[in-house]
Amino acid sequence: MLAGESSLLIYFGDKIDPELPKNIANFANQLKNEFSELIINLTPSYTSLLVSYDLNKTSYPIFKSQVSALLEQWTLAEVKQSFKVIHIPVYYGFEVGLDLERLLAEKALTLDEFIHIHTSQSYLVYAIGFSPVFAFLGEVDQQIQAPRLATPRIKIPAGSVGIADRQTAIYPTDSSGGWNIIGRTVLDLSLKNPDNLDKFKTGGRVEFYPITREEYLKYGGEL
Amino acid sequence: MSFKVIKPGFLTTIQDAGRFMHAMYGMSQSGVMDEHAFSWANHLLGNNYTDAVLEITFGAVELEALDEMVVCVCGADLDFKINAQVAPIWQSLQIQPTDVLSWSLPKHGVRSYLAVQGGFKTQALFGSRSVNLREHIGAKIAQDWVLTCAPSSGQLERFMAPQYRPNYHQDIVLRLLPSYQYSKFSDAQKTLFFGQTYTVSHANDRSGCRLKGVPIALKKDKMISEAMSYGSVEIATDGLPIILLKDAPSIGGYPKIGTVFSLDLAQLAQQQPTAKVRFELMGIEQAQKERLAFNQFFGALGNSKPLKI
Repeated sequence: MLAGESSLLIYFGDKIDPELPKNIANFANQLKNEFSELIINLTPSYTSLLVSYDLNKTSYPIFKSQVSALLEQWTLAEVKQSFKVIHIPVYYGFEVGLDLERLLAEKALTLDEFIHIHTSQSYLVYAIGFSPVFAFLGEVDQQIQAPRLATPRIKIPAGSVGIADRQTAIYPTDSSGGWNIIGRTVLDLSLKNPDNLDKFKTGGRVEFYPITREEYLKYGGEL
Repeated sequence: MSFKVIKPGFLTTIQDAGRFMHAMYGMSQSGVMDEHAFSWANHLLGNNYTDAVLEITFGAVELEALDEMVVCVCGADLDFKINAQVAPIWQSLQIQPTDVLSWSLPKHGVRSYLAVQGGFKTQALFGSRSVNLREHIGAKIAQDWVLTCAPSSGQLERFMAPQYRPNYHQDIVLRLLPSYQYSKFSDAQKTLFFGQTYTVSHANDRSGCRLKGVPIALKKDKMISEAMSYGSVEIATDGLPIILLKDAPSIGGYPKIGTVFSLDLAQLAQQQPTAKVRFELMGIEQAQKERLAFNQFFGALGNSKPLKI
């Protein structure tokens, strides 16, 4: 499908499916290998891939038919590629989990129960976007799902861990945002460390684990 | 070769042709807002198409030249002066050490581009010198900064013929490619969208331009977030369009009615709030033909790949 004067959008499905991100990443790699001279940007998301190409070297009809041909050979498969699980230490405290107290009351959960639910599963990286290193992770257990705030906050501190509906994520830098903030990590995920650029990979897995207030402070966490 | 910043202005950043092959990491394309003025500035100096320039928004900027250089200012007329004397834009100029270049306030358009022969040589990050404040990549220029440039190769007398100079004061027509969810909008919604004259609002920055007008009634369907290309026009929950620009987030979840042709976005980059804007349909063939001709003229062919660092 047309997405702009030098880009097209490919849909791989019409609903969110945990098998899709790995497969889309896989197809994006194939495209990159096949058309390395033509492709200038690739943006995968939940069910789609935006492909931007150099219109100085090809044209919409030509490139579209080349991509279609490659897509025809492609099938949704069990992707063998294995990713390293990324472990994120989080301090789930009221000083940093700005919405935690409210959520506990709304959900009638104790803090320990809440932490247990958020940390007891591994999350899939469905997409990376909004800002660099911001990974959309899913799916959050129904018991702790919460809609975005009606009015987004102007400033959410870097490292904050949030929940929006079925998704959870970490804000890599200070940013505005409307997610429910439940804790904060001590890890620096900003691009001050350029290695963070591909810290999260679509199709990869992320797990959270709780740390105490003392541990959080010891590793440089701020309150 | 370098400049020293005396007054940094409101929003003055180094920009180039943009940051490519990084959208998969969540990065915006970034880069100059007005590709037309940017391309002319580099062209008049014999630079590469991708060379970095200084993007000056609204003015209040003063720079002191520390060396002899050849420069060119294109785009908005922000009352550009050299040593307090009105100086020409859209032409190459020889400047001397201690010369003070100044841009005070918008007289015609809002974004002015300072190019230097060989380009600014500030630090490149992730394949581009473009600053993106939303992403914390680089920073606005600040007082006492020294902006490093390539050594000038010498005098060059080139200017743009006056008849080609853009008029930023006229109402603009943004040509729109029928992309993304275009076919999901009803005829009535399209008639309302293409039939009205929108107004540029104050919510208008490097990430996006929000327009004011008669809202389009939308069904409350939830959309799965997908990648947004430069110039795509999302219709927000309030039924009004937001045109996504260079620093826009890479993905988003509002339906998009189409994508504005890049060279029309260059005109939009020079508009103030209250400017009038209309949309008109454009075919992909025409868009690629016009953009290719532009690229050929400015020598952008085969040169749009990321910087090798």
